[in-house]
Amino acid sequence: MADVLVAGLPDGASALLRARLPGVRVHPVGSGEALLDALGERAWSLAVLDSALPGLPAPDLLRDALRPAGAPPVPLIFCARGRPDADTVRALGVRQLLFHPLDGSELLRHAAAILGVAPAPPAEAERRAEVSAVVASMWERFRDAIFARVATLESAAAALREGRLDDAARRDAEREAHKLAGAAGTFGFHGASHAAAEAEALLAGSVPPGVEEGHRLRELVASIRAGLERSPGAASPEPRVVDEPLPFVLIVDDDRELAERLAEEARGRRLRAEVAAGLATARGVLTRERPDVVLLDLTLRDPADDALGFLQELSREVPPVPVVVLTARGGFGDRLEVARRGGIGYLQKPVAPAKVVEVLRDALQRQQAAEQTVLAVDDDPQVLAAVRGFLEQSGLRVVTLNDPLRFWEVLEQTAPHLLVLDVDMPHVSGIEICRVVRNDPRCNALPVLFLTARKDPETIRRIFDAGADDYVGKPFVGPELMARIRNRLERIHLHRALAETDPLTGVANRRKSEEVMTHFLHLAARQQRPFSLAVLDMDRFKDVNDRYGHAAGDDVLQRMAAILQRTFRAEDVVARWGGEEFVVGMFGMGAEDGVRRLDQLRGRVAEEEFSATGGTGFSVSFSAGIAEFPRDGRELAELYRAADEALYRSKEAGRDRVTAAGTPHPA
Amino acid sequence: MAAKRILLVDDEEDVREVARMSLEMMGGFEVLPASSGAEALERAERERPDAIVMDVMMPGMDGPTTFRALRDNPATRTIPVILLTAKVQPPDRAGLQALGVEGVLTKPFDPLTLAQEISDLLGWGL
Repeated sequence: MADVLVAGLPDGASALLRARLPGVRVHPVGSGEALLDALGERAWSLAVLDSALPGLPAPDLLRDALRPAGAPPVPLIFCARGRPDADTVRALGVRQLLFHPLDGSELLRHAAAILGVAPAPPAEAERRAEVSAVVASMWERFRDAIFARVATLESAAAALREGRLDDAARRDAEREAHKLAGAAGTFGFHGASHAAAEAEALLAGSVPPGVEEGHRLRELVASIRAGLERSPGAASPEPRVVDEPLPFVLIVDDDRELAERLAEEARGRRLRAEVAAGLATARGVLTRERPDVVLLDLTLRDPADDALGFLQELSREVPPVPVVVLTARGGFGDRLEVARRGGIGYLQKPVAPAKVVEVLRDALQRQQAAEQTVLAVDDDPQVLAAVRGFLEQSGLRVVTLNDPLRFWEVLEQTAPHLLVLDVDMPHVSGIEICRVVRNDPRCNALPVLFLTARKDPETIRRIFDAGADDYVGKPFVGPELMARIRNRLERIHLHRALAETDPLTGVANRRKSEEVMTHFLHLAARQQRPFSLAVLDMDRFKDVNDRYGHAAGDDVLQRMAAILQRTFRAEDVVARWGGEEFVVGMFGMGAEDGVRRLDQLRGRVAEEEFSATGGTGFSVSFSAGIAEFPRDGRELAELYRAADEALYRSKEAGRDRVTAAGTPHPA
Repeated sequence: MAAKRILLVDDEEDVREVARMSLEMMGGFEVLPASSGAEALERAERERPDAIVMDVMMPGMDGPTTFRALRDNPATRTIPVILLTAKVQPPDRAGLQALGVEGVLTKPFDPLTLAQEISDLLGWGL
């Protein structure tokens, strides 16, 4: 029988060790003093120490106690909160470092490994639950691509209704419906899967589908979309063609016809394109939004337009805006001029619009790769060298770390876009690092990819349980690693904003913010911190639109969003939930503080001057309701209802005010 | 005993990944993924898997075509093949079975039972 000493561990963790470690006696102690006494009493096979132990002994006392004379040192598992002190960890000879909130199965696994026993296996039901959990996390990986298929079907339905769906497009749509049926079913969305199968049959019919079928298809697509939406209570929106994706191309060309053709070609290739007929307009666009790439025609006819000068301006931006140049001249001297001023591409007219867009997309790809940093952590320097070798080839910046205890320090210094982690490392496993990253609201969206020598079911389960996005086997195949990393980084760039932000205001959209806030609520429950949810609604917004025009209305929303982002902290969630409704989630803040914050916001909004086209000035106000976790609700939906109800009371009481849920009268 | 190796062939990444995960976790199989019929032929010859699980509808060489090619190659002739198809009508399934495959399974599959179903068709006790 092995004896395991457990000090300061939560009851659940102790019980888990007792239940699942065969041939082991578990002895709990409740204070530093008792711990030191116990260590002197007998030979321990393992000690598990929690940082929350009352009267935690000083490191050197503890170290000595763990090394009794004439006996082997007692292996130590240390359960830490926050960042570990690397020197202390090393000095104590900690065998494994785990982090709160503890993952029971990780603790069990490490304890079993140190003791040289196999933990009693989970029951069949548990294994099934694990598979379901992994499938659910895989859905996160694939949902964007699947929704893109839905969008394709929506376009086909619209085309059918307008009588302009040609044969090739019909077969495309049929294929997409087929794939949707398969994917949706595989992920468990059976309603959506059946609707997709029906859509496929409709498109495959021996009689070519007509306008009538177009209506039916539209209904089916709405049904598919509704089936795939996971947000509770989300009404299925009016199906619309999905907005253009993120990469924004600015086409600067005074040849209207050419510019429009180029823009159309770009939009067809999933780029957002805007045309500026002259430099003044182009500069105007720049002040509003930074293009991801600019296509600049050097042959601008207006003598006041110094195109080369503009090229130079763009390359002096921080960071520089990539520019591809279009010109009628092709001499070496001209190319040199362009290169000197920072142009990254050179196209000579005449050139087919498709070719131009290809060059632009290429430039975008290179640009994205160049900005992305990968942090790789592995105790094997050869693996790190290999990872660096492959990734740097494609222009990624790679930071390698072979001491996992320094992870937090290096993370902060490098601010990477993606993490590559080894599973097993001394002192802290990659699994623990991944869990800590996922639990930290500041960096929990960081993609994590594991490198693992073992691909047995248990290791895979642990990897996904910890919150990883993907894994690659060791020894890894360079191109496979590259492809997975590039895919992931591309997905972030190209799809993240589309999937996560509101196109008009740039703040988070409803779906993303619900996800994030649900996560925050779990954290709040675990860490016993407050969380407040505020619902804001612009006052008499319909009047603003009616009286001053929709452009003015849009302007109000955009500036409101900007003020919100200024007023709240980076870790707060600011989102647009509807036409004129915003939702703010504040982690670690109670309703009282939230009300103060919102009043501050009201003051700022009152100071803003808006103007309609034509110059009429006006100002706006908003009403808000705020609810607090856990007092006003434990789930997101409950909190929203409570805050919404308080919002209603604000409106009733005269608008332009904030009301806290549960209070009988507005503040 | 070493894990059984399954060559999993499907051009759709999402479905292939879920299948791979489920076969690895529920069946303990080692899974070799392939995304086309051509890749399947190459990998089958090189790796000699214990079985091949393959989607019927794929661009390029579809499932049945790839199956015939596998049978034509002495190196891969004896590897049992299971087809995955979205067609549920008995005549369609019978047609596929008549090719001489080990079994025909329906898509979408249930990730919780796929490994067991494959194991049953192949006579591998799971």
